[in-house]
Amino acid sequence: MKRIVILLLAVTMLVPALFAAGKEEEKAVKVDADAPVTIEFWHAMSGTRIELIQGIVDEFMKKNPNITVKVQYTGSYNDTLNKVKSAVKAGNAPQVFQSYDVGTLGLIYSGIITPVDDAAKEFNLPIKWDDFFTPVQSYYKYQGKHYSMPFNSSTPLIYYNKTLFKKAGLDPENPPKTYADIRKAAVALKKAGIKTPVTWNLHSWYFEQMICLQDAPFVNNDNGRGKELPTKALINGEAGKKVLDWWVGMEKDGLFLDVGPGWSNHRAAFVSGEVAMVMSSSSDVNLLTKGLKEKGWEMGTGYIPRPEGAKGGVAIGGGSLWMTNTGTPEQQLAAIKLIEYISSDEPQIKWHKGTGYFPVRKTAMDKLKTAGWFEENPNYLTAFNQLLDSPESLNTAGALLGVFPEARSIIQSAIQECYAGKSVQQALDESAAKIDAAMAEWNTVIKQ
Amino acid sequence: MKQSTFKADVLPYVLLLPTFIILIVFLFYPAIETFRLSLFTVHPFTGAERFAGLYNFKNIFTNSEYLHSFGISFLFTLAVVLLGLAFSMMIALLLNERIKGMKYYRSFLIWPYALSPAIAGALFNFLFNPANGIIGYFTGHRTWLTEGSTAFLIIILAAVWKNLGYNIVFYLTALRNVPRDALEAASIDGAGPVRRFFSITFAFLSPTTFFLLVMNTTYAYFSSFGLIDVLTEGGPARSTNILIYQLYRDFFVNSKTGYAAAESLVLFLLVVGITVLQFQTTEKKVHYQ
Repeated sequence: MKRIVILLLAVTMLVPALFAAGKEEEKAVKVDADAPVTIEFWHAMSGTRIELIQGIVDEFMKKNPNITVKVQYTGSYNDTLNKVKSAVKAGNAPQVFQSYDVGTLGLIYSGIITPVDDAAKEFNLPIKWDDFFTPVQSYYKYQGKHYSMPFNSSTPLIYYNKTLFKKAGLDPENPPKTYADIRKAAVALKKAGIKTPVTWNLHSWYFEQMICLQDAPFVNNDNGRGKELPTKALINGEAGKKVLDWWVGMEKDGLFLDVGPGWSNHRAAFVSGEVAMVMSSSSDVNLLTKGLKEKGWEMGTGYIPRPEGAKGGVAIGGGSLWMTNTGTPEQQLAAIKLIEYISSDEPQIKWHKGTGYFPVRKTAMDKLKTAGWFEENPNYLTAFNQLLDSPESLNTAGALLGVFPEARSIIQSAIQECYAGKSVQQALDESAAKIDAAMAEWNTVIKQ
Repeated sequence: MKQSTFKADVLPYVLLLPTFIILIVFLFYPAIETFRLSLFTVHPFTGAERFAGLYNFKNIFTNSEYLHSFGISFLFTLAVVLLGLAFSMMIALLLNERIKGMKYYRSFLIWPYALSPAIAGALFNFLFNPANGIIGYFTGHRTWLTEGSTAFLIIILAAVWKNLGYNIVFYLTALRNVPRDALEAASIDGAGPVRRFFSITFAFLSPTTFFLLVMNTTYAYFSSFGLIDVLTEGGPARSTNILIYQLYRDFFVNSKTGYAAAESLVLFLLVVGITVLQFQTTEKKVHYQ
């Protein structure tokens, strides 16, 4: 009797499981890849980039006549992310949206997205990650899984005015490479009559990159990529101190013009010849080359500087495309097809030529090389080479932390405090403590 | 005089209904929701809530940066209100003179009010930005916005300028109500222009001044966010990080809904408190006709 009861129990336990398994399979089969479907795609690229993206999506729709994509520019990265969040709560989220690099860890734990690798597996649409540049795909890979599709990638570069370099008796074909080089060049330029020869905008991104260049971590737990969420900021170590000692030191000695935050002041200062050297995003190549040309000046580019002997490399910045976990399977399928298409060679080449962002795939890069694009535009090559020269490590993959936007404003305030006279070590120690507190709080809230 | 009344039971309520619906949807509900959220910690993406008691309040009031924001917001408001009212009263008095082409002068002096704070910020950025600001170019002094003390002054200046038009319109209207015969009588009695201003004009302007005092306080606490975002982003080193800007960052950038809600409640209580205080103290000195 007992046995029969146990057997019955076992069977009743098994049956639903069998049904469930059956359902799963049904779902995978049920997706009708040719059924007409509409998806939404929200992005954060303004100006001429709006039309460029629309053009790429139009091309996609031509190739997939059953899919309609509604493209919408939804403001800055930050605005877009906020709009996606409220749309998810309201139940009308887009299927695809663009987010910035620093939003990555937050989105991974957000509970509102479908990892790209999961979708690729579900719909049996394998993505050739080997085609992508290592630094690009390793940034968006977290514990072995790709969560979003790389789209617009950039790194910082040094831009310098060759004409003014010549005037100051510097070699215009040999850009400064180390902290000492930059300082030396700045002193020479100052002697040649440029009041404050160097600048870049107040942005924590440069600080982060210059920590990567020394192959040092930004946060603990494998730079935020380990099993545990990061709990400690490591910015106040030797690497961080070296960066700010040099950066703030130049400001104090009148070699560096503090232009404040934002992305227009340092460009304006460079284009008007107020300064002869700036650091800025590699996606500024077009803009700055044009600006200097109008004045009859020639522009050069170089790798961002490092302390003597540092062995690290740059980490990728920019944005990627995410899938929300909303919508029907048909919509999800259309979404992954769309982002896969945007990352493919033709659209990436078009995107690179129109904006200055890197193509994310090696194959696209090879096509550009064969077409002789870099002979005409040597400054684009600098950014590529800088990226390719970067060794692969957890540090150069880029740090991940949930409170990155907040950490950035903390660091930017710290730099301004240093300008105003606070010691670098003290400013960094205080910032690290604030970031630690913010991380501890985030790590609890994200799990609630 | 006996006030006339309508005899209707339902009609007034029906007529009020649209207003109430708008108030409830856009004002009362969000406000109550905000006050409720100040007692919770909120998941930055899904919005999942967990009751936290006074956790948010305890943390913001033990945070030295928030207290700093509290202090500079107060200074900022004080400066914006005092300078704003003084300048606009002076300008309104001048605009009340009879000069040829006065209509045009009036329009020119009122138009800054038509600009959004962000545009006003952009204009001041043209003047003071460290890379190619016009004033920086002519004075050789570039650090207007990158040094804490001057950045704070420029934010005040911009906020005052932005609201001048609003204040001037009200003062101009009020000046029309200053009875000419009272001024003439005072002249005949031998009162000079200064005496006439303080004893007569100023007294007649007092209801408007009081109204503007309340409005400008609210303006300074709540509406200067756009200016700061464009000009300084709260910097350098938090020297222009007033409460409303911190609130914006906590909600829209840092995704800390609980903190942002607590900060809104604090800001709300602060402004209500100041307004009540103004009613209790200053209003007694107001002379209504």
